[in-house]
Amino acid sequence: MMNVSKMSKTVLLLLAASAVLSACGGNKSSNGANAGGGKDENVELTAWAWNVNVGALNDAMDMYKKDHPNVSIKVEDIGRLDVYDKLSTGLAAGGAGLPDIVLVEDDRIQGYVDAFPDSFVNLSDKGFDKKADLFPPFKKELASKDSKFYAFPFDAGPTGMFYRKDIFDKAGVKADSIQTWDDFIAAAKTIKDKTGAFAVPVDKFKDDALFRMMLNELGVYYFDKDGKIDFNNPKVVQALDKIKAMGDAGLVKDVNGWDGTVSATVDGSVATVPFGAWYYGTIIDQAKDTNGKWGVFQLPAFEKGGNRAANLGGSSWMLPSGSKHEDAAYAFVEYFATTDAVQQNAMEKHGLFPSLQSVYKTDLFTKGVDFFGGQPIWKLFGDEVKDIPTPYYTKDYAVALDEAVKTQSDVFNGKKPADALKAAADRLADRTKREVK
Amino acid sequence: MRTKGYVPYLFLAPALGLFAVFMAYPIIYSFLLSFQTGAGKHMSFTGLSNYHRLFSDELFWTALKNTFAIMVIQVPLMLFLAILLAAGLNSVKHLTGLFRVSFFMPAVTSLVAYSIIFSLMLMGDGIINQFLTAVGAGAVPWLSNPIWAKAALILAMTWRWTGYNMVIYLAAMQNISESLYEAANIDGATRVRQFFSITIPQLKPVILFTAILSTIGTLQLFDEPYTLTKGGPSDATLTIGMYLYQTGFRFYDFGYASTLAYVIVVLIAVLSFIQFKVTGDEE
Repeated sequence: MMNVSKMSKTVLLLLAASAVLSACGGNKSSNGANAGGGKDENVELTAWAWNVNVGALNDAMDMYKKDHPNVSIKVEDIGRLDVYDKLSTGLAAGGAGLPDIVLVEDDRIQGYVDAFPDSFVNLSDKGFDKKADLFPPFKKELASKDSKFYAFPFDAGPTGMFYRKDIFDKAGVKADSIQTWDDFIAAAKTIKDKTGAFAVPVDKFKDDALFRMMLNELGVYYFDKDGKIDFNNPKVVQALDKIKAMGDAGLVKDVNGWDGTVSATVDGSVATVPFGAWYYGTIIDQAKDTNGKWGVFQLPAFEKGGNRAANLGGSSWMLPSGSKHEDAAYAFVEYFATTDAVQQNAMEKHGLFPSLQSVYKTDLFTKGVDFFGGQPIWKLFGDEVKDIPTPYYTKDYAVALDEAVKTQSDVFNGKKPADALKAAADRLADRTKREVK
Repeated sequence: MRTKGYVPYLFLAPALGLFAVFMAYPIIYSFLLSFQTGAGKHMSFTGLSNYHRLFSDELFWTALKNTFAIMVIQVPLMLFLAILLAAGLNSVKHLTGLFRVSFFMPAVTSLVAYSIIFSLMLMGDGIINQFLTAVGAGAVPWLSNPIWAKAALILAMTWRWTGYNMVIYLAAMQNISESLYEAANIDGATRVRQFFSITIPQLKPVILFTAILSTIGTLQLFDEPYTLTKGGPSDATLTIGMYLYQTGFRFYDFGYASTLAYVIVVLIAVLSFIQFKVTGDEE
């Protein structure tokens, strides 16, 4: 027995356990016709989420309860990756032990819908389409497949360059003067000479966040619209060339994982951190001493006047199908996703940047932010959202990401970007049986 | 008084029930899964296609090569160190408890704590590189160079498991009869000679035992690459265990992941068999 690998045992124990648990949980009676729970029957929804999203969901339920006193929610605060592990195992076990509502990051939605068809509630059938225009185009495309919605759009991550004003000032560099990546590299060299601060933190060998932001900005991604592998696209090569140029000029701080990025942000060893709007929360939390020293500008363009909008991160809510409370869950999450007050609260209290566009007109989004020296940063991000190109993730996104990170490693270890990408395209074709464009 | 034949089985029933659900079922189910492809409700039997896929799967071969490279260097190195340490500690007269605990400590340290400390120590401007630069040796790209990343894993694993094996050897050494050494002393054998002619031969079954345990452990290697290198850079530290995990949980291919699990089972069985044969223990 002991010869069976530890991992496979774990996987299968989880499967067995979830089957047992679902058998125990299956006897709660409920009648599904009770849409939205406006009647007398009590409904308790369960949800899986992580981090600040848990608070946002609980707050929304408190607001929802005023009109729907019989509905309540139990949010299980599970770590991000644990949610996926549990969700994947539950789906693999045919839907056993799953909650009514689950938080999924945007880049994983297509993977789940593709790999587990029929396992999520088709929101278009429930009438979500008439609300869809409240959201920006890229978010709508991510949440739907074959023009049917499978996820309620929630937060987004319009990108920006978070920068240290004091470091820029010390080096005599004006953020306004940076229009293109070449401008940025020139400015970064000055900053490095005068202050010793690196330009950007990059987890060279384990993550490719900057690369993904650049790809999205250029309107390309790992796959094209038809699901073909796009690694050989000249624009993809251009993005990786730019990162390599920064590395060669000694402007990239090699950080280890998320903690490394955060500590580089806090200790001032980097002058800029390109990330999604949600990085605001990390900065104000972790770098309290730097109050007033920060600013934001949009990602530099690749050519003068080119697109500077991109997105990194963001998540949406999905409803696993087969739940006893499908309709009640639908009604609640629709309220959550499309109500200004709820989204405003999620932003104000939990730092989750909404993709619901009607919120951008509210005061919260137009006023200045003290931590950022009074700069109205939310207006900058809000204005950016409508210009964000759609990335195409496909169900093989995870494999493509794996190959992209390897490509970046190879480039930092000396390989030429075009060659590394070509090799990656071939490996990816081999692993996914997809065509290389 | 005679007991009915089935009575013992009644007493065994709870244990057998648990065994069936938590041991037998997963093993059988994963075996069946290894012949299927698809996901969720859409699994279908495709015969040996998963096993076929192995042969043309570059990543599998990379993972296999990495795992063996680590095993071939790490296991002998660690066992040798463990024997040396055990021999040393066996003759120490004072503070024995303190030494034993210190060497055994890594084996009981929480994995998370240990991997965070190691990644802090090994990173670009970590303490190890600071030290190396200070003595003029130059910084080593521990986690970013394909070869050094393997070395970093070997280092971490050796730190963690040497003490564990040492304790096993120490226990075995204390069972070696004093009279053998007394006789050797009278014959005028040196300490070194005694070590190779008495200690090592007496330890043989224990060495076999630890070698097999370590082989199994290395073939299942997952924790260290997962926390220290994520299998990188560029798959240089991708082990079969890592690849199995990625296939199942990142790429949702549970069928192929089960196939990989059974490949590990076969490898372990074959290697253990060879080790028994080579050391020539017939019992």
